[in-house]
Amino acid sequence: VTEDVLEERIEAALKMGLALSTTLLLYGLVVGGGGPLRAGLLLLMATPVVRVIVVTAFLLLRRDWLFGLISLFVLGVLLSGVVVALGLR
Amino acid sequence: MAHVPAQQVLLYVATGAATGLLGAMLGLGGGVFLVPLLTLAFGIPIRAAVAASLISVIATTSASSAVNLDRGLINMRLAMALEVATTVGGLGGGLAAALFTTAQLFLIFGSTLAVMGIVMVLRSGRRNVIADLGVAPGRLGGHVQEGALTFVYRVRRLPVGLAASLVAGAISGLLGLGGGIIKVPVMNAFCGIPIRVAAATSAFMIGVTAAASVFVYYARGDMILGLCGAVAVGALPGSLLGAHLSHKVDVKALKILLAAVLIVVGARMALEAR
Repeated sequence: VTEDVLEERIEAALKMGLALSTTLLLYGLVVGGGGPLRAGLLLLMATPVVRVIVVTAFLLLRRDWLFGLISLFVLGVLLSGVVVALGLR
Repeated sequence: MAHVPAQQVLLYVATGAATGLLGAMLGLGGGVFLVPLLTLAFGIPIRAAVAASLISVIATTSASSAVNLDRGLINMRLAMALEVATTVGGLGGGLAAALFTTAQLFLIFGSTLAVMGIVMVLRSGRRNVIADLGVAPGRLGGHVQEGALTFVYRVRRLPVGLAASLVAGAISGLLGLGGGIIKVPVMNAFCGIPIRVAAATSAFMIGVTAAASVFVYYARGDMILGLCGAVAVGALPGSLLGAHLSHKVDVKALKILLAAVLIVVGARMALEAR
């Protein structure tokens, strides 16, 4: 049952990320704005990160330490990528 | 860089749709066809094509995962465990991409495609490994519904799965491909995971794997915004239609044909390295 709740939340996060980012991308492509295009792409890129945040928070709150820590590690790798990227700019 | 003329936007949307459709039908992911098309036919720099592929991979696997979660095909604990390896490989591959010359990247991409084509040919006649029935699923295992029957499976040889995931991650970060063609056969044949669960779980990991390197591509200035946006917008409906068609069409003959295409395109990309 707990897995079902987690799956629902992941699904919601994925759908919301996709809906918002594609709306921005379409607007940017049709109207021709660099801003919405950039925002849409960054939102799309962030969607998997949000998915991992949702999973990590869920598992740690449920005190599933083993998989919570595994998920936290994955989140750490993703955030290292963001930090490295910020350093490259 | 953001301003791409309207005709080109349409061309890129169509390209994303066509490669997404084909990739989803074959279970390969669109990047296998997208990157060669963008580089060889449209003259896009290879790192910009890889960045566009990473973006389209995130869009399409997010959509397919939402569907597969409903179908109960994703083994989330297994995905988390293997993502440890795919994200490390992905970030490493993304950083390493800056160290290679364009010629070297073409050579690596070309030989990877050719190897994928050969793997596809070799596997075309093989039956899926069905998991032992009636075992305790353990911490990583699970169950899957096939018609009226429920199969229980246990994950075996996790280190082999982790190694394959590390390689798949590196390929994702370096070449913008999902790496499913490496993970899925290994998960099925070596780890005893039913093929549909292996495919759905692999796709679920691909978005997170791509996210490990995509910010590095963005920051390095490898991203052509209009191109990435157009490809993603096209790839979404294309891949959803492809996934739908793959259940209806017998793709075996198509797979052998496209394995040949992969080998030829791979050789063509490798020649670009000269």
